[in-house]
Amino acid sequence: MATKVFDRDTLLDLTVNFIPLFILLFFLVGYFVYNPFKLGSTERILQYMLLATPFVLLAILTYLSGKAIASTEKSSPVYMPGAATVDGAEPIEDEHEE
Amino acid sequence: MQITGQLTLTVLMGLFLVIIAAWLARIEDWRSYTPLGSGGAAGESGYVSQEKPTGISRWLTTVDHKDIGMLYGAYGVLAFVVGGLMIMVMRVELLDPGMTLISNSFYNSLLTSHGITMLFLFGTPIIAAFANYLVPLLIGADDMAFPRINAIAFWLLPPGALLIWAGFFPLGDIIPAQTAWTLYTPLSTGAGGGNQANAGVDLMILGLHLTGVSATMGSINFIATIITERAEEVTWANLDIFSWTILTQSGLILFAFPLLGSALLMLLLDRNLGTSFFAIEAGGTMLWQHLFWFFGHPEVYILVLPPMGIVSYVLPRFAGRRLFGFKFVVYSTLAIGVLSFGVWAHHMFATGMDPRLRASFMAVSMAIAIPSAVKTFNWITTLWNGKVRLTTPMLFCVGFVSNFILGGVTGVFLASIPVDLVLHDTYYVVGHFHYVVMGAIAFAGFAGLYYWFPMFTGRMYQRRLGKIHFWTWMIGSNITFLAMIVLGYGGMPRRYATYLPKFATFHQLATLGALLMFVGGLVWTYNFVVSWLEGPRVQDGDPWNLRDDGMYTNEWQWFQDRQETAITDGGDEDVVADGGTEE
Ligand code: HEM
Ligand SMILES: [Cu+2]
Repeated sequence: MATKVFDRDTLLDLTVNFIPLFILLFFLVGYFVYNPFKLGSTERILQYMLLATPFVLLAILTYLSGKAIASTEKSSPVYMPGAATVDGAEPIEDEHEE
Repeated sequence: MQITGQLTLTVLMGLFLVIIAAWLARIEDWRSYTPLGSGGAAGESGYVSQEKPTGISRWLTTVDHKDIGMLYGAYGVLAFVVGGLMIMVMRVELLDPGMTLISNSFYNSLLTSHGITMLFLFGTPIIAAFANYLVPLLIGADDMAFPRINAIAFWLLPPGALLIWAGFFPLGDIIPAQTAWTLYTPLSTGAGGGNQANAGVDLMILGLHLTGVSATMGSINFIATIITERAEEVTWANLDIFSWTILTQSGLILFAFPLLGSALLMLLLDRNLGTSFFAIEAGGTMLWQHLFWFFGHPEVYILVLPPMGIVSYVLPRFAGRRLFGFKFVVYSTLAIGVLSFGVWAHHMFATGMDPRLRASFMAVSMAIAIPSAVKTFNWITTLWNGKVRLTTPMLFCVGFVSNFILGGVTGVFLASIPVDLVLHDTYYVVGHFHYVVMGAIAFAGFAGLYYWFPMFTGRMYQRRLGKIHFWTWMIGSNITFLAMIVLGYGGMPRRYATYLPKFATFHQLATLGALLMFVGGLVWTYNFVVSWLEGPRVQDGDPWNLRDDGMYTNEWQWFQDRQETAITDGGDEDVVADGGTEE
């Protein structure tokens, strides 16, 4: 179960957050390679913290929300968002084909 | 002298609160009454009794989420009118370069109040209005998780507004604050030879603090409600997009507003008790900016996420198809939530902070542009080949998308350090954020007001007037804010009552656009008031014919159930515990 939660479709949905993660990674590496400001080192550490913290937090939240959504999708019927309590609501067939 | 004035006011306010508390305590059964005239929601909680207070005491004692939503709505709209009238005076003053209609210091007072009114007294409350009314209906809950905290959160707002506007009332020596909404120190600590040591500034800070407490209480309530009160069928996988944005927004409020509260208290201590948190020699000027913007940037997303949710929710209804890439929108909402805490110093690029830190803030600001852009593409793709129906709410949604693109793109330019160093503190910034806050946030608010008007009032508005309102605002806002962008490129600094004659043409254009919006605003007021009083009654639970496209949703189902209950019951009687929705 745990491995199947992050199947291909879920990963595809999550790409949307991989892009900002990638941008942050790009700058993390970029500022490491190219560093024109040779000043003290506290600021240097802070500079990386400012990039690494959002990276880590975003990765965690993306993981948790992806897991919550994908696992309920598998365990209970999926209705149209916002329409689960409509009279006679039918589960929607294929979530991944819009 | 000022101290006594302040003391008297505090004592009076305290007395006032005690009287209210005593009075409330005398009402025995103040949680029990029937919501709205015509019967209850599906599964209305068991407290409902035979009687409900009528008239004013119903509104003063209500803990029903829909009533509180209406209260928030009335409050937000009123604040919007006040803030709008303030800016009209300012725009007329700006018709010519010199100081004519009002004094420069009165201009500064209006500027400060306009900003704070629009952000804290209109923006946050109008979102809370939609959220209170709709979220429990959308997730199939009986009410909010903490109905009374909900009521308290609202009732903190009116005293907040009175305190914020206190300087404008004839209260002896008290003058309005002229600190701008950012309250930068040292000006706001009252240092130096200016007049900002006046108690009016303290009152405004206290008022801001109250609105912050209110927002925090509200956010805790929404988080608890959305996580614990969902009906069984409503899972994370089919939670609607508006509730997702409210959940994210509440998370942001929970982390951002307490920080604002602390910073405001530090400021009050500096002003009144001789502490030196923000002393210039100790770098207090930078400290304030860091504290303020660590709250301030998340605040702009606090304001924009739920309107994005409204548009993501309403726009597909009139495109006849489901939101394209629904989960993209959900995940990018969450991403914005996290990243918005990592960009605050893009408001401080010009302060002379360390260039390495600046570079990191630039990088995160670029990264946060992606989730915003993703949403924009999703809205556009939803429209693509859709069965588009250009009703008034739909027009406002499309206007939102258009204006948000302009606001977002100018934002990305500003997030680039070299560009920002040129454009910082010019009208370009004013143009940027007005495209977002007015062009997008207010437009989404109107989309929501028109879309749910039949549900809120049981009547239909006049469609023609709705469209006139839209077009005056679409054209007016673009004239005004495009003119501001041009002024910014020309080097016109922001926050001045006077200017060099070479800027006159574009300032006059900006005023023209504002006048157009003023006219549109009159049309809107007339339309809503008249339609509420005597518009045609909505006959069924599907005024937008959503069923035809299979786009019918929970809140309209609730509305339909209520209407049917009203017909069978004649309205005022006992509420049927289950109004038809399956449990
Ligand atoms: C989406 C909703 C947005 C809102 C509500 C918003 C709002 C604002 C506000 C109110 C200000 C003015 C602050 C002041 O008083 O100086 C501002 C400035 C700024 N915004 Fe935005 N903004 C939004 C989006 C963006 C985006 C997407 C970016 C960039 C990625 C951005 C970048 C900036 C920058 C860099 C400034 C500072 C400009 C300066 O002061 O020189 N904004 N924004
Ligand atoms: Cu910002």
